[in-house]
Amino acid sequence: MAVLWRLSALCSAQGSRALLLQTPVFRPAHISAFLQDRPTPDWCGVQHIHLSLSHHSGSKTACLHWTSERVVSVLLLGRLLAAYLNPCSAMDYSLAATLTLHGHWGFEQVVTMFIGTFGRKLPRQGFWQFQF
Amino acid sequence: MAALLLRHVGPHCLRAHFSPQLCIRKSLPMAMSICHRGTGIALSAGVSLFGMSALLLPGNFESYLELVKSLCLGPALIHTAKFALVFPLMYHTWNGIRHLMWDLGKGLKIPQLYQSGVAVLVLTVLSSMGLAAM
Repeated sequence: MAVLWRLSALCSAQGSRALLLQTPVFRPAHISAFLQDRPTPDWCGVQHIHLSLSHHSGSKTACLHWTSERVVSVLLLGRLLAAYLNPCSAMDYSLAATLTLHGHWGFEQVVTMFIGTFGRKLPRQGFWQFQF
Repeated sequence: MAALLLRHVGPHCLRAHFSPQLCIRKSLPMAMSICHRGTGIALSAGVSLFGMSALLLPGNFESYLELVKSLCLGPALIHTAKFALVFPLMYHTWNGIRHLMWDLGKGLKIPQLYQSGVAVLVLTVLSSMGLAAM
């Protein structure tokens, strides 16, 4: 549960940068510094300010999408283990659903990285992917 | 397609994944990142293929398993085939966990990147060997 809270807190802190960081493999130095030196008690205030400054409703959707992707990944990990230990048809269905969703979103990320989202010439996700 | 991509690259080496000769250095994190995406696509294709063949081909899974058993292939070959099948899955799983650790903000320093990369590779080989032996 704590893991999920931290994931969602991370997601909303990124706000308008969420679109840029849909594939957050390697982050620019100032962002990783922000993530690592955060003061834990005051952090909620900082992330709230970030959210109120961004006026795009699209960034909230992207943020939710990012969190959902991570949640589904963690769920899939648990499912794989549980399905091996306890095979039953309900497990089959949930594994199929989680696997399909994870695969679809992952493929979408690869496509977006190389082709870009609608209306962009340069895929910026691809740009950050190679910035190290 | 390649020319279109190159035109938009500018000073940054966006073709790094495909044309290392265009870029100054290739490194372990980059190679592992390509492999993560590559294994993801391969696994997705495999799962879709499995599902489609379950729909289209006659018989059920057990009959195909019996068919493979009746071929009496050597244990070395079977072990190798199982290893080759499970290796992409294990690599993608362990590297995926590494990605999730990054998303939590941990292990983003460069030396940690290399350490976690090597750990993922070692874990992949060990777990693939373990699962193939089952």
